[in-house]
Amino acid sequence: MSGVFPLLMRDLKKWYRNPVFFFTGLIQPFFWIALFGSALSNLSHLGAIPQGSTYITYIVGGVLTITALFTGMFTGTNIIFDRRLGPMGRFLASPISRSSIVFSRIFSAIIRIMVQSVILIIAALVLPNGLKFPGDFSLADVLVIITAIVLTSLIFSSMFSVIAIRMREMNTIFGIVNLVNLPLLFMSYAMFPVGLMAPWIGDVAKYNPVSWSAESIRLVVLQGSLTASQWGSIFQWLGALALLAAGMVALTYVMAEKEIRD
Amino acid sequence: MVPIIRVESLTKVYKGETKPAVDAISLEILEGEVYGLLGPNGAGKTTTINMLTTRLSSTRGKASVGGHDINRESMAIRRIIGVVPQDLTADEDLSGRENLLLVASFYDVPKKTAAERASKLLNMVDLADAADKHVREYSGGMRKRLELIIGLINEPRVLFLDEPTLGLDVQTRSVMWDYITTLKRDYNMTIILTSHYLEEIDALADRVSIVDHGKIIVTGTPGELKASLKGDIVTMGFRDGQDTAPVKEYGGIIEILDSKPGTLKIRVADADSELPDLMGFVFKKGISITTLSVQKPSLDEVFLRYTGRSLREDAPADRFKNAMNMRRMRQA
Repeated sequence: MSGVFPLLMRDLKKWYRNPVFFFTGLIQPFFWIALFGSALSNLSHLGAIPQGSTYITYIVGGVLTITALFTGMFTGTNIIFDRRLGPMGRFLASPISRSSIVFSRIFSAIIRIMVQSVILIIAALVLPNGLKFPGDFSLADVLVIITAIVLTSLIFSSMFSVIAIRMREMNTIFGIVNLVNLPLLFMSYAMFPVGLMAPWIGDVAKYNPVSWSAESIRLVVLQGSLTASQWGSIFQWLGALALLAAGMVALTYVMAEKEIRD
Repeated sequence: MVPIIRVESLTKVYKGETKPAVDAISLEILEGEVYGLLGPNGAGKTTTINMLTTRLSSTRGKASVGGHDINRESMAIRRIIGVVPQDLTADEDLSGRENLLLVASFYDVPKKTAAERASKLLNMVDLADAADKHVREYSGGMRKRLELIIGLINEPRVLFLDEPTLGLDVQTRSVMWDYITTLKRDYNMTIILTSHYLEEIDALADRVSIVDHGKIIVTGTPGELKASLKGDIVTMGFRDGQDTAPVKEYGGIIEILDSKPGTLKIRVADADSELPDLMGFVFKKGISITTLSVQKPSLDEVFLRYTGRSLREDAPADRFKNAMNMRRMRQA
């Protein structure tokens, strides 16, 4: 995996050096929180949200997951850009493993998502009627949040990298992203409590990794210290995410080593 | 001398095609040699280079670079070679220097050494002033020069140059030639050069293989290949109304190529030594010459002789295609 670090640094450099790209990436989470928070704040009257909590507290897990989903999905486009603009030819001629070309992009996406997540949490905290951590919020809860975000980023950035590995057309991947982002978002527990969904969507949402991540974060943010059965659910969700992530990473490795070309 | 590159019946058939792009070529390239592959577009030059640089796997045959097999030891080969592909590969959002340092890190060149090398190379190709500008601000010639030194950042033993002056103006091209000559002279670098510019191969290559339809047609030094045409062409013009028949009796004529009233085109073994004798002979016959020209054989004629086609025939179309390629690259 030589080459991952230099390529990762290149990617991050291009990110923080492009002011528009950098700031939109940072401001976008603010919009999510502010717009969804106010648009749907009346949901708290419907009883889906525990007493004393706020809708933003309820939804922050969903927004964090969606940020990871959206940023992750665009990882593939960077691979196509490298192919169209020439650098891919240089990478393939260099003594670095093929997979490092792809994994550097994936790691870069994870780092960018983590930065966005921190900003997003700060935004949620400063908004009026915003995020309220429970009094007994602990380090274990923080770890759950980080694990959920990292695994979600890993799953979707790997998935869309695999799609991009042999692709030359930018429009194809944009099309795929546009096709799947709304179903992934709305057929999940990211935004709404299951009680508000049509039953069949609720059933589908159960198997959506976006739900697993959103629900894990939601549970620790709303409850703080968890009961044994709540921990059980968290391990189930995170375990499923981890399995899926491992599968995606393995697939990405094999596909990148074998199939990447210019 | 030991060959640094050995190629034995190397063949590439692309997926879904029946006709091989490279058809059982064999060659040996010696250390320190500038070796040219000359041929029209689609002859298989780039495919050959891509196999030798391990970017593409071969279908059949064997090849080694620096003693390493191209299919089994690709990493070892990539470490000792430098590649300057036909397309531009620098990242436009980074500066020239950053591009060099990025590629240096792929070869695990220590940071300090890499910085020194980058500065030295940037100076060599006169890019020191533009070193810290974004590559997207570079002109076409500057980008080609940058590509050349990116290929040199790991101090390769073997350098592959695929059409290094494609699409460049005449001035920039001659500057590139100077750099290539310098590399050979000062660093004893083995250089494999593909080109469809005859002048380029003639000026730079120690040995050349003419490639057409995926096959090597003939190999030799540019001098040998030209000598194989046996002789130079001498064209004489005479004052009107003279009988030029006696000139044809000159003993040194190998072949009469053209004979019209007032002009005579002949082939002689070596015009340099033959010309004084020929002049003496013509004067002795009382014939006066008004014009005289000597044409040394060019690689173009060699190409024509061995393939039956002129290489220049596809030149205009090429240029158009290159312009389109450059535009496409920018738009992408």
